[in-house]
Amino acid sequence: MRVLPWVAAAALLLLPAVVRSNFVLTMFVFTFILGIAAVSFNLIFGFTGQLSMFHAAAFGLSAYVTHIAMTRLGIPFWSGVACAVVFVLVLSCIIGTICFRYRLKEFYFAVVTLAFAEMARLTVLNWNSVTNGSLGIAINEKATLWVPGAGTIAMDNSTVWYYVGLAALAVTLLVCHRVLASWVGRCFGALRLNDELASTLGINVFRYKLLAFMIGNAFAAIAGALYAWYIGFIEPEYLSIPQSLALISMVLLGGSASLVGPVVGALVLTALPHLISLSAEARVMTYGAILIFTILLLPRGIWGTLEGLRRRVQGASATSVQTLVETPVQKPPEGAPPPARESLGQAAEVR
Amino acid sequence: MLNWQRTIARALGATGLALALAGTAAAQNVVKIGGLEAQTGPASIFGLMPSQGVRMAVDEINKAGGFEVAGKRYTLQLISPDTQGNPQQALVQVKKMLEEDKVQYIFGPYLTNVFNAVAPYVQQHNNKVLLMGGATGMHGALGKPNMDFVVKTMPWDTGAAGYGSMMVGLLKKRGVKKVAILMQNDAGGKAVVDIYTPLFKEQGIEVVTEFFEPGTKDFSSTLAKLAAAKPDYLFPGYTDTALYDIVRQASEVGLTKFFITRGSIGPGMKNNAMIDSYIAWVPKYFENAEKTNPKVSRFVENYKAYYKTAFPYDQAPQCATSCYDHVYMLVEAMKKAGTVSDVPKVKAALLSTRYQGLWNIRYDTTGEAILDFDVVEVQRGGKINVTHIDPQQ
Amino acid sequence: MTQLILGQLINGVIVGTLYGIVAAGITLTFGITGIVNFALGAFMTLGAYVAWYLTDHAGLPFPAAVVLAVLATMAFGAVADQALFRHTRNNLINGLLVSIGLISVMEAGILMTWTATPKEMQFVLPGVLNAGGLVVPKMKGLVAVVLLAVVFATYAALTKTWVGRAAFAYAQNPEAARLMGVRTRLLQSGVFIYSTGLVGLGGALYASLYSIDAGFGGTYVLKGIEAAILAGIGSVGGALLGGILLGVAEAIGSIFLPAAYKDAYGLVALVLILLLRPAGIFGGSK
Repeated sequence: MRVLPWVAAAALLLLPAVVRSNFVLTMFVFTFILGIAAVSFNLIFGFTGQLSMFHAAAFGLSAYVTHIAMTRLGIPFWSGVACAVVFVLVLSCIIGTICFRYRLKEFYFAVVTLAFAEMARLTVLNWNSVTNGSLGIAINEKATLWVPGAGTIAMDNSTVWYYVGLAALAVTLLVCHRVLASWVGRCFGALRLNDELASTLGINVFRYKLLAFMIGNAFAAIAGALYAWYIGFIEPEYLSIPQSLALISMVLLGGSASLVGPVVGALVLTALPHLISLSAEARVMTYGAILIFTILLLPRGIWGTLEGLRRRVQGASATSVQTLVETPVQKPPEGAPPPARESLGQAAEVR
Repeated sequence: MLNWQRTIARALGATGLALALAGTAAAQNVVKIGGLEAQTGPASIFGLMPSQGVRMAVDEINKAGGFEVAGKRYTLQLISPDTQGNPQQALVQVKKMLEEDKVQYIFGPYLTNVFNAVAPYVQQHNNKVLLMGGATGMHGALGKPNMDFVVKTMPWDTGAAGYGSMMVGLLKKRGVKKVAILMQNDAGGKAVVDIYTPLFKEQGIEVVTEFFEPGTKDFSSTLAKLAAAKPDYLFPGYTDTALYDIVRQASEVGLTKFFITRGSIGPGMKNNAMIDSYIAWVPKYFENAEKTNPKVSRFVENYKAYYKTAFPYDQAPQCATSCYDHVYMLVEAMKKAGTVSDVPKVKAALLSTRYQGLWNIRYDTTGEAILDFDVVEVQRGGKINVTHIDPQQ
Repeated sequence: MTQLILGQLINGVIVGTLYGIVAAGITLTFGITGIVNFALGAFMTLGAYVAWYLTDHAGLPFPAAVVLAVLATMAFGAVADQALFRHTRNNLINGLLVSIGLISVMEAGILMTWTATPKEMQFVLPGVLNAGGLVVPKMKGLVAVVLLAVVFATYAALTKTWVGRAAFAYAQNPEAARLMGVRTRLLQSGVFIYSTGLVGLGGALYASLYSIDAGFGGTYVLKGIEAAILAGIGSVGGALLGGILLGVAEAIGSIFLPAAYKDAYGLVALVLILLLRPAGIFGGSK
């Protein structure tokens, strides 16, 4: 009986009524918001198999664009977010077209998206008149929400943010679930497994890779705006490589084969610094160690491993999105030559 | 009542009494102060020393039995989380400090980006809290409407008792005619250029200026340009990270005299074989001060005993801002004002107090500190000259 | 103006050799093991700190400090290879992610050991060469010469020695190489460790020129990857040339274009090369 998800949902809905601590609520808000970013990253990485280093750039750019839209056009928060999402969609379309039209694979795709992300960060860092450069922007414009029955309320306490975050995450998960359960989702899975084979089956590789990239970045944009407004501050570090790595870590730690995995990863990585008080250096080292540990020892992530255990205990359950796209990782024997590298169709030569 | 019922009743009663006492004790006798500095991470070179000084001062005051204000005895409770130089983290910490811990006096931040992040929020609690930090960005906030919570503990180069014009005056006395300024192309660097160009011009010194991108390691082209202008002194800035490379590379193109207003004497000492003169503004040159000032030598000894480590002479100048002295000075102000919770009264008292601790501290009318300082010159071969200057005289 | 351009040209070449040695390390590792070792930047930082520590605090003569720094970096590389990368030989993305995790661990370790204060090495070879108004610090020239020599030696080893040709054969056809008796596991580890040694050397020499902090290797590894891809993965000589090209482009570009975006020029060139000529400038045409 799948009672557990309903119990969990009820617990989440009632949590603010029971927990008075602002600190715990803050933790959950961050988990939800970063969870949106992680889940959307996993759409591109875990389900479509493309390692994009552009996610943090979409996350950060959206915060800036939302702010610019709100201050220059005088529109309310959610309209600003819509502007940011449109901006990010257009940008991802351009970048994705460049990358996928030229059929960049794996490592090269990662490097090119990294290059674009760095270019975005350098622009933000130096365009002082618009972004205030390295000093960042302290947000004075309040985010407001229209609630039926109560009118327009300001989003200025953690309880409101908790429900907004929870709702946004729920919407993200729902949309991703619909996408993955549809024909589009199966194409993503085929691309992840072997995109050349997929193209011989008639799947338009370019279109579906681009679609995954754009959808993923759009949700990252939503997450970015929410994150900045909750904290009240925007800085160029939002677009930096460490931010991208944090998202990757959440996905890997939680489990890239499921929708919910990244949220688990987000929870662990958000809560960790506050449960264990570490110096800045020790925290950085811990993150690196967690990343390495997860890749080598827990390839399925926390949630994936738990799911695996549950399935072994209960026996195979009815088909779900997870089982459709999950494939066990085959490890060829050691010392065997690595699989043919996709260096754009050319063998690597050492001269 | 039965025996066990009596025991429980007594226990409950005792607990209740204890709680009541503790409650009232907590409410009456403790003044909470906060710390908002980077204690670890790359920015800790600015924040570790101040946070350590504050902690030492709080402990000393409490060990001496606390302090008395308006007939009541108080002790201090320090809440000092590590911001790690991260503005977002600092904002969350400040929110907790003001909302949950009900802190009214915060020492820090030194970092301008942290100040920018927390200021809008702290402003909502204006007149209920004092934020006493050394951030350059706080200078612009002084005296502005609704910014009464800002107190700047680091002195400023210009103004009535600014150290900038005194430093420039020293150069003038040496017959310097031309100075080349080499600064980061960011808000901090541009601020320095804006402050010092008029100061130089006032004293009849010609100025040539070049900017470089923060993070540059190779200054050869810019230095070549400046060398061609044949300045008497080079005025580079404003962090040690850049100064080491600038001083070394400048000495290679023949620029061997340096004028420093922000940065340590480290680059001068390290490269002393290739330079002629390295004049730096240092809040206090502890190596000399501990020989001449008994308060300083006592502080050094106490530090070593308290933290069980060697005394960090290179970090010690940073104790000029939001550090040991300032805790004592705050206590003095509270005594003078006769209250620990009426923040505007405490601030007024603070601004009218002159404190003589490790430093000679007083505040100007806007809430910015005026301190005594040292001018340290490193000469070729490593010889050091120290001049102590006190603007209070 | 000409003097400025000439001066920048020379400087660009010298800085380019530093990019080149990192690029050589990247291209060797990627060509043979298929892993992109982002952590090479952290190894470069490690080499720099060890060299600085041995010269300034242990009082060793600089050449000895450099050799020991290279050995220390290679030892660390051996540990990383056996403990971590051995398990990711067949999964390139995993190898990439592990190398990224390793960066955090190494940089944090360096920060904890040596703190965040910037470190500067004492002068190793003070003085400048003056040629018609152009000033080149002697140490810079020496560094460039040493790096060039090492890369050429590597290239010679690859083409002339048995080990080198085995590596060449392996890169072309792994199965066949194995059948011909090439010890593939040893080869992969050996190349990985050698590339860490290369960047360790680069770092140690870097420390004699500039002040060091825990993060500088990160910038260099990105530039190294740019240079390696620009030149074409697999070509060691090409990687060096790519590095020099990159250094010169940045130096000359800073004269005419805003210096703030200096890092972006290499990125733009990278993207263009990948789109227009994916094999790189010196890449083969298959």
